[in-house]
Amino acid sequence: MSLDHSPLLAAMSQSILDGDETAAARLAGDALASGVEPLDAIDRGFTPGIREVGRLFEEGEYFLPELVTAAQAMKAAMAVLRPALAAGAADRSLGRVVIGTVPGDIHDIGKTLVGALLAANGFEVFDEGVDVAIERFVERARELDADLVCASALLTTTMAAQRELVAAVRGAGLRARVLVGGAPVTHAWAAEIGADGHADNAVAAVDLARRMVAP
Amino acid sequence: MSDPGGARRALAERVLLLDGGMGSLLIAMGLARGEAAEAWNVEHPERIVAAHRGYVEAGSDVIQTNTFGANPVKLAASGLGGRCREINAAAVALARRAAAPGTLVAGDVGPTGVFLPPVGDAGEELFREAFREQTEALAGAGVDLIAIETMYDLREALAAAEAALATGLPVFASMTFETRRRGAFTMMGHALGPSLRQLAATGADAVGLNCSVGSGAMLALVREARSAVDRPLIAQPNAGQPRATPEGVAYDATPEGFARDLAAMVAAGARVVGGCCGTDPGFIRAARAALDAMTERATATEEAR
Repeated sequence: MSLDHSPLLAAMSQSILDGDETAAARLAGDALASGVEPLDAIDRGFTPGIREVGRLFEEGEYFLPELVTAAQAMKAAMAVLRPALAAGAADRSLGRVVIGTVPGDIHDIGKTLVGALLAANGFEVFDEGVDVAIERFVERARELDADLVCASALLTTTMAAQRELVAAVRGAGLRARVLVGGAPVTHAWAAEIGADGHADNAVAAVDLARRMVAP
Repeated sequence: MSDPGGARRALAERVLLLDGGMGSLLIAMGLARGEAAEAWNVEHPERIVAAHRGYVEAGSDVIQTNTFGANPVKLAASGLGGRCREINAAAVALARRAAAPGTLVAGDVGPTGVFLPPVGDAGEELFREAFREQTEALAGAGVDLIAIETMYDLREALAAAEAALATGLPVFASMTFETRRRGAFTMMGHALGPSLRQLAATGADAVGLNCSVGSGAMLALVREARSAVDRPLIAQPNAGQPRATPEGVAYDATPEGFARDLAAMVAAGARVVGGCCGTDPGFIRAARAALDAMTERATATEEAR
């Protein structure tokens, strides 16, 4: 980059912090028009914004609405940048994720949020929705050669299905790691059922997913 | 049947002990994974009566109908669409059957499970309509008061409180808060004090907090709430934090510790206390004993003067 793009990059980060989809998409377009590499736009513009959102959430400054709007802004920016990335033949996916709520559980907010934040952070996310059959998780993980399978259970009555899922993924001989989440889920539960990991919230889940796919 | 005057008098005269959790009792009776507890008001009425009776015998002054998810929006999501009136009426009749003379029956109202933008795409009109339908069904079936609980969005809580108050019945309204570094907030980011003040401004008879935290953490929140709002305060903590064990889900509190904390909440100004997730009749029995001991000590002190 020959020109000083730092004001533009700062504005990109700020658009994520503000959860401003329109601004994020516009700034992504501006960046490309002014010769910023799409990878730089992501790494030095938008990603610092989503990281700061995560920090503010953990600090108790940001809450669910801010997380959701930030993820939406990130998605809008990525929609503009992705075609340019493809032209540069750069596959930027950190990994493929199959995500859903376990059978019997229709509480989709936590799962949707984790999916959106993973996508915003560069994962390819395949959201299977709610009340996803164990066989469906396994089938999708196999056909996508998924890196991660993420299963959410909000209820103490449905979390037992996470144990079945871990067993099914292992039994099918898949390489996918299984991450479990949801309000009643703890590290002890994840360990007990043999899951590969658990995070307390959506932001921590992104960190965990990054660690899981790190070479 | 319905005795709104009795509920208001009771609230003015004494500390009221609510009941405890319903879900875990029903699971113990065989409620299957993914099965809606509200369906049991119609399918297994005798089990619901037995659950209520456990609390009546443990000493609850107020029992709450098995209608936490019986608003039309949530019922539709549970495959019970179009049955709001029937299910709420059945639930009220079951609570009445279990009630002892003097037991108040509260019509329980929980969140719709859908979200306003930006989290979801529901509109406030949907909330108003859902809560109007459910609270009218509860009032029509003869509850003594309406108890709104576990609200995590202030706007949804206000919509529920307004619908409930329109029935003319006394209204208890509580929300759920988590402790963050800067204080207690709902998951939507509404702070505890201002939320309770806005709820009180609707005219709700009592306002407060339930779920999310155990009794120790809630005691601190009760103190914060007491200084924020001048209205009878409700406190219904969980039995500690849920932990998954090989045998199922366990909670880490004992009935005795829970009862001690509840008594401390009353000393700190709570007026309506009970239990939320993981509490059972054993917790309420211990709470009854602790509250009665408090009353006796107060009476003895009074007489000694």
